[in-house]
Amino acid sequence: MDFSELSHQTEIRDSLDKILNEHCSQELLKEYDSNFKHDASLLSLLSSNGYLGLGLNEKYGGSGEDLYDLGILFERLGYHAAPLSLSGCLVDVAQTIQKFSNEEFCNEILSSIIAGEIYTSAILEPSNQDPENPITTAKIKDDQLVISGTKYLSEISSMAKSVLISANSNEGVLLVLVESDKVKLTELSSTANSPLFKVELDSVRVDRESIIHNKGRGLEALRYLIQVNMVMRSYIALGVTEKMTSLIAGYTSEREQFGRVIGTFQAVSHRAADCFIELECLRLVNQQASINLNTNLDCENDALVSKIWAGNACHKISYSAQHLHGGMGVDKDYVLWRYCLLAKECELINGSASQNIDRLGINLTTNQ
Amino acid sequence: MLIQLNQKQLKLQNELREYFEGLITPALRAELNQPEHFEGGGPEFKKAMRTMGSDGWIGLSWKKEFGGKELSPIEQYVFVETVMRTGFPFPFLTTESVGPMIAEHGSPWAKEEIATKILKGELIFGIGYSEPNSGTDLASLQTKAIKQTDGYLINGQKMWTSLANFSDYIWLATRTDFNAKNHKGISMFIVPTDDPGFSMSAINTLGDVRTNATFYDDIHVPDTHLVGELNQGWSLITSQLNLERLALVNHGPVEELYKDVLKTAQSTKINNDQCLSDLSWVQHNFAQVHSGIEALKLICWKQTWIMESGQLNMAEASVAKVYGSEFFIEAYRLMMEIMGELSILKNDSELTILNARLERMYRTASILTFGGGTNEVQRDIIAMAGLLMPRTR
Repeated sequence: MDFSELSHQTEIRDSLDKILNEHCSQELLKEYDSNFKHDASLLSLLSSNGYLGLGLNEKYGGSGEDLYDLGILFERLGYHAAPLSLSGCLVDVAQTIQKFSNEEFCNEILSSIIAGEIYTSAILEPSNQDPENPITTAKIKDDQLVISGTKYLSEISSMAKSVLISANSNEGVLLVLVESDKVKLTELSSTANSPLFKVELDSVRVDRESIIHNKGRGLEALRYLIQVNMVMRSYIALGVTEKMTSLIAGYTSEREQFGRVIGTFQAVSHRAADCFIELECLRLVNQQASINLNTNLDCENDALVSKIWAGNACHKISYSAQHLHGGMGVDKDYVLWRYCLLAKECELINGSASQNIDRLGINLTTNQ
Repeated sequence: MLIQLNQKQLKLQNELREYFEGLITPALRAELNQPEHFEGGGPEFKKAMRTMGSDGWIGLSWKKEFGGKELSPIEQYVFVETVMRTGFPFPFLTTESVGPMIAEHGSPWAKEEIATKILKGELIFGIGYSEPNSGTDLASLQTKAIKQTDGYLINGQKMWTSLANFSDYIWLATRTDFNAKNHKGISMFIVPTDDPGFSMSAINTLGDVRTNATFYDDIHVPDTHLVGELNQGWSLITSQLNLERLALVNHGPVEELYKDVLKTAQSTKINNDQCLSDLSWVQHNFAQVHSGIEALKLICWKQTWIMESGQLNMAEASVAKVYGSEFFIEAYRLMMEIMGELSILKNDSELTILNARLERMYRTASILTFGGGTNEVQRDIIAMAGLLMPRTR
């Protein structure tokens, strides 16, 4: 049993905080509240400092295959509300290719991701509750695939070189890397102003070599992708809720009413304490899920538990933070509002807590 | 970071599991099913304790120099977990809390006469801390021990003295300095329950677990019954508190019950095609209990790791206490919902499920949110130590 971080992990956290403190000040973040939320200079800074290789094998130029390292990156991006959406690129594309693709794919794509090239994924589909079973289809004709379907919530797709698409075919589920210029992109305006896109594929033709996995491993790869995405996004949720909890502690320790600091009222401090408990639970289930996924490609229940806690923590801590800040919480000149919107996005992407409770319940009662 | 038990700890778990399977005979099980023996004290229980003593399964957390095995906090947690899963009412407070303190801080008489017998499974202690007017604010206790030429004269009253009805001694917190600040004037004594000045009256609780009000009327004890330095008792009370709190919220029993309820639901037909566990709301309840248990397990493991590495983290200990105690109440409710009306049947019907454990567990769970340091105080601690907020008033 050892809950301590390795020294290189603490270093990652500290030096990331240094960079992000500088690049995610209130003034700088304001620019992205109404503009396209992607800070290209910050991305290249992360690249030149090696942070885009977290969780990737050294032989491709990464810093080692540990998902906990990558989790730290997403946690800090969440904590600083950084204008970067990287889970499609660093998780879905990079991690899935690392685990399921041949050397050729790995060499080409992983090293270019580490160098700052953007890839993304398009997995989720409107009104499809089960991402493991895509509505999008791929027809196999000789050496070609013809893909049709509609995806959404794909991150920074307009900047991506290629999009990783999940589709059903007569060979089962496939994960296919499609060049961005072959798909139709529509930017979606959403609650946290994240750069999210609808991706439409209308009989898009690609070579069979664009399938990233060996024959017959598509579903396994997709399940892995979904689970790792759930857990890494739960790290974003962890960073977001950690920040909100520290804002609660800071604000209620200074704000005075009735001649005393409001944090000295038990009604206030106990609500803050409940946020601390929720946060600690989320941190631990995330750690367990990411560590287990390091050695086991299928940890669905651990991933679901992590997402369920993330969904609930985002909701509870966000509203506690709003409430305990009074009017300050909704004032756009103060920091909190941005985190509350991010929390709602984290809560709902990859399924709500209720939806995942349903899924976990089925697993627990039928798979054991 | 490594979040799992190691080979040595897993081996200990297996050993203990096998040992207890052999130890708990049908006769002992039948005795423990009787409300008056829920917490032990019957002849079969006493026999089992002596067997454990001679087999070397008592004193696992004690230092080696006092005859113990000196388990690490994580191994101690595994020990508590595995024993609690069996349902055997192991007297942890006597063996793992009072025992090692007497072995370390007791007089030569206490070391020889008391500590040795605890190790053999021959002695049980009741804990005399709370009083009618000293609960959460324990340091305000008023039971007094007055110095006399050949010992101390003890007078006072204690509340919630569990196990006193079959204990040999009370581990008694007394006030010995009336001028010092509250927690600086407290001393610990070993008080025999066969003293004529000792008496008690039963308090029957909601959970059918008996506890007691105990009375100390001019009880004279020799100096050898003082444990630790005079007026230094507070540190003895608090030194093992974190481990005690952790034992209260151990994830073993609730996980054991979860597994059993799941099996029951999977084999309970509700019509020709479906089992109880096929219903979506039932599945949701199971999922909620499962995700709660996962968090509890991790919190407890982290807490033991913190203790093992010798760090002090007050906030984390309080998180375990608050989260665990409140989760139990929620978990028992969710699981009772699953079994519905069947879960309120007591132990004497052929329709009874799971030996009526659900019916009993929910009735005993409520004491944990205030026992072992009330959750309001724990939340105060979390806000102060974890979030660095100002002290509440």
